[in-house]
Amino acid sequence: MNISELKPRIYGYLGFKGAVASPQTDALIAECLTELDEQNEFRVTYKIFTERPAFLNKPPYESFLKGASAVVIEVASLGATADARIKYLSVANAAKAVVFDACASAFLEACADEWETRFGETRTYRFCPGYGGSEVYDLKYVFELLQPEKVGVTLSESYYMLPSKTVAGIIGIGISARKSCENCFMLPRCEYRKEGARCYDSEKN
Amino acid sequence: MLRLGKELMIFDGGMGSELSKKGLFGNPEELNVTHPEEVKEIHRSYSCADFITTNTFGLNGIKYVGKYGLRELALAAVENARAAGKKVFFDVGPTGSMLAPLGSLSFDEAYSAFAEIADITKDCVDGYIAETFSDLYELKACVLALKEHANKPVFATMTFDARGRTLTGATPEIAVEVLEGLGVDALGANCSLGPKEMLGVAKRILACSGVPVLLQPNRGLPVLKGGKTEYELSADEFAFYAEKFAEMGASIIGGCCGTAPEFIEKLCALRGLQVKRKQISRPTAVTSGTRIVEFCGVKVCGERLNPTGKPKLKEALIAQNYDEIIGEAVRQKEAGADILDINVGLPQLNEPEVMETVCRKVSEYADLPLQIDSSNPAAIERAVRRYNGIPLINSVNGEEIVMAKVFPIAKKYGAVVLGLTMDGRGVPPTALERFEIAKKIIERAADYGIERRKIIIDTLVLTASAEQKLVKETLEGLRLVKSLGVKTALGVSNVSFGLPNRPLLNKTFLAAALACGLDMPIMNPLDAEMTATLKAFGVLSGTDENAEKYIAEYKDFSPASSVAAAVKKTENGSAPSATLRDCILLGLKEKAEELTRKELESNEPMSVVNGVLIPALDEAGKLYDEGKLFLPQLVAAAQAAKTAFKAVSHKLPKQGVSRGTVVLATVKGDVHDIGKNIVKVVAESYGYNVVDLGKDVPPEKVAEAYLKHKPLAVGLSALMTTTVESMEKTIMALRAAGCGRGIFVGGAVLSREIAEQIGADFYTKDALEFVKTLDSFASR
Repeated sequence: MNISELKPRIYGYLGFKGAVASPQTDALIAECLTELDEQNEFRVTYKIFTERPAFLNKPPYESFLKGASAVVIEVASLGATADARIKYLSVANAAKAVVFDACASAFLEACADEWETRFGETRTYRFCPGYGGSEVYDLKYVFELLQPEKVGVTLSESYYMLPSKTVAGIIGIGISARKSCENCFMLPRCEYRKEGARCYDSEKN
Repeated sequence: MLRLGKELMIFDGGMGSELSKKGLFGNPEELNVTHPEEVKEIHRSYSCADFITTNTFGLNGIKYVGKYGLRELALAAVENARAAGKKVFFDVGPTGSMLAPLGSLSFDEAYSAFAEIADITKDCVDGYIAETFSDLYELKACVLALKEHANKPVFATMTFDARGRTLTGATPEIAVEVLEGLGVDALGANCSLGPKEMLGVAKRILACSGVPVLLQPNRGLPVLKGGKTEYELSADEFAFYAEKFAEMGASIIGGCCGTAPEFIEKLCALRGLQVKRKQISRPTAVTSGTRIVEFCGVKVCGERLNPTGKPKLKEALIAQNYDEIIGEAVRQKEAGADILDINVGLPQLNEPEVMETVCRKVSEYADLPLQIDSSNPAAIERAVRRYNGIPLINSVNGEEIVMAKVFPIAKKYGAVVLGLTMDGRGVPPTALERFEIAKKIIERAADYGIERRKIIIDTLVLTASAEQKLVKETLEGLRLVKSLGVKTALGVSNVSFGLPNRPLLNKTFLAAALACGLDMPIMNPLDAEMTATLKAFGVLSGTDENAEKYIAEYKDFSPASSVAAAVKKTENGSAPSATLRDCILLGLKEKAEELTRKELESNEPMSVVNGVLIPALDEAGKLYDEGKLFLPQLVAAAQAAKTAFKAVSHKLPKQGVSRGTVVLATVKGDVHDIGKNIVKVVAESYGYNVVDLGKDVPPEKVAEAYLKHKPLAVGLSALMTTTVESMEKTIMALRAAGCGRGIFVGGAVLSREIAEQIGADFYTKDALEFVKTLDSFASR
């Protein structure tokens, strides 16, 4: 992975929205990315389903996965050390904590993107329960199927995954799909869209 | 069990994959009752193994949710496993909930869940296998519960990734220290990896474990083949790697996910091989949950978390202001401490309770191993028991009564102990007498089964002003004690009490002690002269190979540059003529503090606040609103302003410069706190006193804090759609406590409309809007 390619995404998370960051911020970003890259605690739990699990037989998953020959369900995480680092930095250097948090999110997304290339070119993006009109509560089915507790990822009663730098995703194999803002629950108050931007790279996805 | 560790023994294989083959899905634990014959059949198919694991991986009071009772399922599972006619080990898996501080499950709650299982099964099983744990802290709770509630062998295995880390960051070396310290009968790794990928982790465990090692890999990773998911590894290939494990010294081998009876049958061909145990020689080591400090070379123990002679820390401890304590811990880590001493000995405090809390709070922020410094055995036990890692206990001395109280605690939890060479008669004057006490401490420790490497001896520093002749006895004692093969410690700066130019005496004595073999100076790591001496000693003693670290530190050294100047170099980028305003806008903390002090020489404190600090912050805020300054810079500016406010406060010791108190919390059910933390930094930078309740805070705690502090405002944060309800409950609790106005809410999922719906007084979209709204609210 070329970590310098992560910068636009990190600027996005930090609210730069196309503006030029200061040299100090750029230096902090470089420092944090090097640290994340050296640590590289990325790990994935996944299963490949040729028979679609029952919870996916409803909108919006049905249309998202239409025509897919298989479905990959994954939970990917940077582990608890990223959370611990953010906590430490919140006292040692709060500005760096903010940057590290954004860098860790971008790094995780990029690691997951790269990991998914093993499923070939023809696949959808990672659709997470909670996106596009789906229910975040569907995460419980993801957890039942994958048991990511076995690598230490847990789902709380209020449906957040811990460690916090964790993503869950559903990927259709043999079909393509591009990300869109349609049905996003943040759309009415999206800071990106107010500026005419998007939270994802619309060229790539 | 007599064969354990002598002859290779075999565990059974996968249960889940065998249940699927029989078309059995759903909750696996309930199948023990609903389909006992099928479960028994699977157990029988593994009857060639020495150990049969019950079908109970998810059976504990926290994870299992269903219509059966734990007892019914557990006893049925044991009966099913008995069908194989072999030793039955009860399978104990994790709770599936994250322990605090990352999650909200407490150590004691986890312990109770595991104790419940032990109570039910203790009379009908042959042992326990706690497996697939990725959090060493949770595994510690589990092992303690099993050992304290059932008198049966306990095996404990964790799941590592291929690079050798568990998800919570423990390495194989840390896991071995902690689990062996807790007295497990076998330890190792299972799940997550195939046998080939597990070789590296297995090698590391075998290199340091003094107890038998158990390895249970998966059948590799599933792959997609012709539209079907398959495990590719054959039973022969699996057995090939198992043979390698045996050659490397494993005592027990079995299989995890995807392995089937034919795999275990192949393994059984290896049964009875003589276990190749090597002589393990390990250095003294202490650990946190994610960091191990091995005593090879000098290790610095930071002494500053001790209220003696530190009125501010004393005040913070009494007021339970943990920010001050955490800040001190982080500063010592930044300055290079390897271990942190924690002392909370104040007569007005409940020492056991406060010791536990402070250790927990410090561990949450700084990952350094802790030295639990107390003469109260109850405080020591409470903190050591709940400590995530292997701590150092400070201390025992040569008195039998003290050793009889502390050594059992050290043995039970595997802690390292600092032994002071004194006894009921005080500190003996001669080196030889202190040496004799050291010998006695080591011998008595051995009586309790404590290895020599778990003892560090302190030959005690007396002040040169009062006991000048005894200084050399301390050093001579150190030299003698080294011959006993233990590590040594000294509270170095005690030597200079009562004399002028203490730093000179401290660093000179430190150099002399290092030359006599001092391993752990207990000192102030922020003392630049002493840390410089340590760096120099690294070169002279050869531990800093090719003087690499020394050169990296001092390559730009010129005689004119003092240590103080070196500290300042971190602030390059600030022009010499930078004003206080510039420093705040640029986020230069140290420089801002220095210039604030200068301003205070000629100006009234409040005019510095209102004339410079607030306008500079307002300017930063304006630039942020205009999109010319961004979040990290805003936070840096706020931090610089906070430092400046602190400098001003020193001039106003009584009333301070607080503009009012604000209580902040992330509501119950939500653990996202970076947004709340940004609000905290910015609010503090504007001179507000912030009481931060943390994350996942129950409504009643927020209401309690409201009643205690009567704040100007309460700020609540939530990031998830699922926790807005919890925010509403918190607002209701606050209203019930009499909070009529001043409830602010914020967070990604909130909007002005939602804020209104749930009854909040103000919605603010970010930290800056929070402070602006608070300012106008405060002036009403």
